[in-house]
This record gives sequence, C-alpha cells and structure tokens, in this order.
Amino acid sequence: MNIICSPTGMLNPSCPNSSVMDLKNAGFENILLDLAMCCSPYELEHYGEPKQEEEERDRTPITEDLSGIALFFEKMYKACSTYHLSLPIAHAPFLMRDTKRTDLTELLYEIHTECIRFCGKLGCHKLIIPPLFSGLSYGEEWEANRNYYLRLAKTAQKENVMILLENQCRSVSGHLMRGVCSDPVAAAEWVDVLNQETKAPLFGFCMDVGVCNLCGQDMHEFAAVLGSRIKAVILRDCDGHKESALLPFTCVHGGKPQTDWLGLFRGLREAGFDGDLILSMEDTAIGFSPLLRPQLLALAKAVVEYFKWQIEIENLLKKYQSIVLFGAGNMCRNYMKCYGEQYPPLFTCDNNPKAWGTTFYGLEVKPPESLKQLPKDCGIFICNIYYREIEKQLLEMGIAREQIAYFNDEYMPSFYFDRLKEV
Amino acid sequence: MLSLGVQTKNIVEDTNPAEGFSMMKRAGFSCADFSLNYYLTNTSLYKQELNKFFDQSEEELEQYFAPHVRGAKEAGIKIHQMHMPYPLYIPGGKQKLNQYLQEVVAPKSLKVCEVFQCPYMVVHGFKLAQHLGSEEAEWQQTEELLHSILPMAKEKGIILCIENLYTGTGGHIVEGTCCNARKAAERIDRINQQYGTEVLGFCLDTGHANLVGLDFEDFIIRLGKRLKVLHVHDNDGIGDLHQIPFTFTKTRENKVSTDWDGFLRGLRAIEFDQVLSFETAPVLSAFPVELKEDALRLIARVGEYFIERIK
Repeated sequence: MNIICSPTGMLNPSCPNSSVMDLKNAGFENILLDLAMCCSPYELEHYGEPKQEEEERDRTPITEDLSGIALFFEKMYKACSTYHLSLPIAHAPFLMRDTKRTDLTELLYEIHTECIRFCGKLGCHKLIIPPLFSGLSYGEEWEANRNYYLRLAKTAQKENVMILLENQCRSVSGHLMRGVCSDPVAAAEWVDVLNQETKAPLFGFCMDVGVCNLCGQDMHEFAAVLGSRIKAVILRDCDGHKESALLPFTCVHGGKPQTDWLGLFRGLREAGFDGDLILSMEDTAIGFSPLLRPQLLALAKAVVEYFKWQIEIENLLKKYQSIVLFGAGNMCRNYMKCYGEQYPPLFTCDNNPKAWGTTFYGLEVKPPESLKQLPKDCGIFICNIYYREIEKQLLEMGIAREQIAYFNDEYMPSFYFDRLKEV
Repeated sequence: MLSLGVQTKNIVEDTNPAEGFSMMKRAGFSCADFSLNYYLTNTSLYKQELNKFFDQSEEELEQYFAPHVRGAKEAGIKIHQMHMPYPLYIPGGKQKLNQYLQEVVAPKSLKVCEVFQCPYMVVHGFKLAQHLGSEEAEWQQTEELLHSILPMAKEKGIILCIENLYTGTGGHIVEGTCCNARKAAERIDRINQQYGTEVLGFCLDTGHANLVGLDFEDFIIRLGKRLKVLHVHDNDGIGDLHQIPFTFTKTRENKVSTDWDGFLRGLRAIEFDQVLSFETAPVLSAFPVELKEDALRLIARVGEYFIERIK
C-alpha cells in the first residue's frame, strides 16, 4: 500500500520548495498531483464570462491555454525531484457540486485529455477523473459517462495512465446527497464494462471517504462491493454535513468520531485494499499556522501509517511463525474471538500472578518470564493499552525488539456485546 | 387509489379517541398510521424499562382499543398501517427482556393490528452490524425474527413492512438496516416466495432516507411494487426531526433542501397507489395547541399537492 499526501492547502506550486521539504521531512515519499490547482472548480464555473477591466491575471487560465499545465507545475515537479518525492497519482479538475454549468463537457474533455498526456509525461500512472453529472437526469448518467470515458481511453492507453472513477455527492440546494458512482454495485459495473470495452485494465475506482461520509454511507459495504477495483482511497475527515478535508480522527463529537472508521477498516480489509492511500487534509493544513506545519505533518504521517497498519492488521499476524499474547483481559478475549482460530497463540501471559496457571478463553496464562524461552521467530503481541510500558518491560527482560508487536481491538471484525468488567 | 394518512400520535388520545379521529378527518385525511409503538416507547426500552401494557391478554387489548376502533370507523378513518414497538432486541439487554419483546410484544402487536383490520405493520430490523461484523449477519438476525412472526401475520392477512433505518457515530447519522434497496428487494421477493404469498413489503421513511443522502428516485424505482407504506416527513439532513415537507432550506437562495421532486418522480414511476402517510407527530407538539388543527390541515394540503403531482 502506498501512502500519499495531498499537498493541497499547504503547497503553492509557484513557490513549492518549503512545503515539499516539510512533506519529505515528515516522512512522506509520495504526493498527489492535484491538477485542480491549475484549474479550480471556481475557474470552470466562470469560464467564458467577460472579464472585468480592472481584473488582473497573473497567468493565462488553463481553460484558455491547455499547454500551460506543464508550466504551472514545473517548479513543483523540480522540487519533488530534488527531494525525491514521487507523484504516482493525480486528480483531474472537476466542477463545483452545485454547478450551474451544463455546457462544459467538451471543455472538460479537452482538459482531461491534456491531463492524461501530462501524467503520461511525468510517469504518473493513475489519474482520478470524476464522472460527469451536470445536466444529467436519472437514468442518463451511465450512457453519458460511458461515452466520455471511452473517448478518454485511447489517450490513457497510449500514455499508460489508468483512469480512476470517483464516487460523487450531489447538492440539493446545499444538502449533499448520493450522486453519480455512489452506488457501489453500479460503480463496479461501470468499471467492469469500461475495462471490457477497452479490452484492457484501463479503469479502476477511487473511493473518497469524505463523500461516503457526507452521504451517510455504509463504508464497509461500499468498499467490499467494489473490492479490487478500488485502486485509491482518499482519506479525509468531515462532520458528515459540510464539505471539508480534515485530518482523520479530528472531527469528533461527544468523544466519538463523526466518520465511521470501523466500517472503513472492515470494508478495506474485505476488499484486500493494497492501492494508494491518499491523505487529504486541506482544511486542517490551512487551519494550522505554517509555523506548526512540521509537527502537523509528522502527526499526519503517523495517522496515515496507523490506517495502513489497521487495514493490513492480518499481515502482521502472518509475519511470525508462531504467536504469543501479552495480556489476559478484554483485548485478549477479542483477539481470540476474531483471530484465535486462524492465528492461534501458543499461550498468553500476564503480570497478575493470580492469573498464572489459569485458562483464559482457551489460552493458558503464564508469567512473563516464560517469554524468555520462546524461539526468535515467535511474535509477542501486546494485548493491553499500556503498550509502551509493557514494551519497556519486555525489552528490559532481554526480548528482542523485532519480536514485540502491538495488537489493537478498536476496529475488530466483530465485537462481543459486553465487556469484561473485572478480569 | 392514492389517499392521505397521518400518524395518530399527538392527535388521537386514549381518553377520547373519537375526537382525534374526527380532527384527522376534518383536516383532510382518510387514513391513519396507528402509533402502537407509543404504548411501549423505544426510549424506555433502551433504558431496559418495561411497562405492563403488553401484559394484557389479547382480549383485554381488544377491549382497550375498542373505543379507538369505533372512533376511527365513525370518523371514516381507515387504519392503513401500524408501527410495532421497537426495538425488538436490545444489544446487551437482559435475555428475559429480549424474549418478552419477541415472544409477547410482537405477536400481541399483530393481534392489535388485526383488531383494527389494518393491512400493514411496520417492523424495525435489528441494529447489530457493528457487533456482528456485517450487514449480512445483522439481516440474518432480523430475518429470524421475521420468520417467528410471519406465519401469524400471514394467517391474519397482515403484510409486515421493513423500514430503512439509521445508526450514528459522534452525532452523525449514517445508514443503518434496510438502506440498500437492491438487497431489500431481493430479500422481500425471496421471503414472499417462501410463504407463497405477499407477507413482506417495504416502508420508506423519507426522513431517514434524507438523513443518509439516499437518492429517493432510485430507491423507490428499485423497490417498485414492494413499497407498501410511507413515513413522509422532512428534516435538515442532520437530525431526525419529523417535520412538514418543504420546511428546510440550506442556502441563501432558500430553495428546499430535500429532494421532494425525486420522491414524487419515483412514486409516479412505480405508479404508487397506496397511502401518502405523514409521520409528523413532532409538528403537532411544536405548534401551540390552538394551531394544532391548522398545522394538520397544512400537512394534509401538502399531501394533496403530492397526490396532484404523482397523478
């Protein structure tokens, strides 16, 4: 799985060095090429309108000169090369959700075609192109988009760029509802038919988590249905009502997240997701002072790494020849419920001497000292929220760092209806 | 033929049910959604508090509701649909309570439905996906419950209707059970085939659908004739407010922010010919009592407008 950061909200393409350096220093290796930076939804909305006399332009709009895309991103591309940041995926310009323009399909086609060519030149092999929606009534969406994507396919094939469709919401006088490609069954059919018609795997899907959240969707179901067609996930938080791109886990009410992360983890695990995980946190980045950006980006990197870790949690269990747990409480119980059968631990251990020699959910509870006799390829999974404290204890006992791993039961495949009060 | 209905809560009182039904009729309704769920409320059930209402025998319940049946008949109001108390399963609740809900409350609710000669009973599915791990596992539990009461419903000629519900995280409402029209259609067809007749249908709750951004038109068209019952009401897309359609706007343009056009297009497309039933009890507790009947008339007028548009 590739971790990618969208630089939108923190990077100015005409002066990119500082932000690129911050991103690199935070540990990011890849950034999103956000082509909407050079052609915003606002610009598209006002395309063709007469200019005010006093209006000054610092550049010719891309809508008037498509060759300007390369020039617009030239400095950013150079900075990325200097700091060894890759641009593996791009997002194409798109219309405002409440656009009044129904006349821009041909312009979009020209822009999107040019974007594909530009991606091809940069070696950016995936491009997210949102489906057409403006002016289309119920039942018309598929034919219009089918024709549109098939027209783009030829250039995409030539440039070796995969086009990713993206789930949309639509605005009903400011209320965001499910839009084109928000039905995962239909979206999966679209991708499959497009690939069949082009006789090549030219199309995939990008799941925008923010859109799913705005539409109150069951993300488990959404991701599971689309399965391996999901090549990218845009990871962002929002309150479920207003369009925003916040750092995950920051949109909280009453101590609970306003995005169903549990559903997302379950869905992406079921889908076997192994594509591009794109962190989008434009609003958070703008909200924080640039002075705090290095710290913010370090946290952002840790957050997106955590997502990768949760999605791939089973890979961690597969890594070791055998497994032992540390902790004989709720987390151990949850491990046994969800993974005990497939990845059976040899035993568990606990610091509580009263528990030694007893059996807990089918596992013998041993003293921590027994861990010293384990073979080197046996993983010790800490099943207790006092991770660092227990890790320190294990390291002091002489256990090799490579043998120590954390388990976490916040986002399990299923849960008990109760929690053990006293163990 | 399309007709208009409204829920009885906040209109029909046990002390003088005839008066409430007469008010409904005066306001322009010919049907009612009998709010049986208010005799055992969800708020008390979630607190694991149980009242004695359903301890009454079937005969006692029949006697209890005799004035209601009479009042409705005299006013010319048909009880078109009824709401079974919910939830019928409380996660982590006492086994005795859950057993009581499914083995006593559910069948006795059907008995009351029969007493009212009401053809449709709305039943809430279980909200268990988070614990059980998937919507499919959740549905299995709901289906088990349905199978425990469907034979009785079939015998009494009652069609049970599953309803689109929501769940939430951090105050944000997200889709819950029965929000997938494709799956609902498949499940309804399969179960009806199993019983050899129509025993299961769907209740579309427009407010719940609006909260989770469902596309009304697509949802209704996918359900088609399986759609038997409506809970029509409006909200701001944030909270389950049960208000009058056309109440909410979100932008300076002040255009309605619920897709009522899509709703009407959907109903027209499937040639919906049942009851446009409003689930708008909170409107009637919000307006001053002096304006209650006027508020009810406005609701009915909105319904008439809907009927004109659907036709």
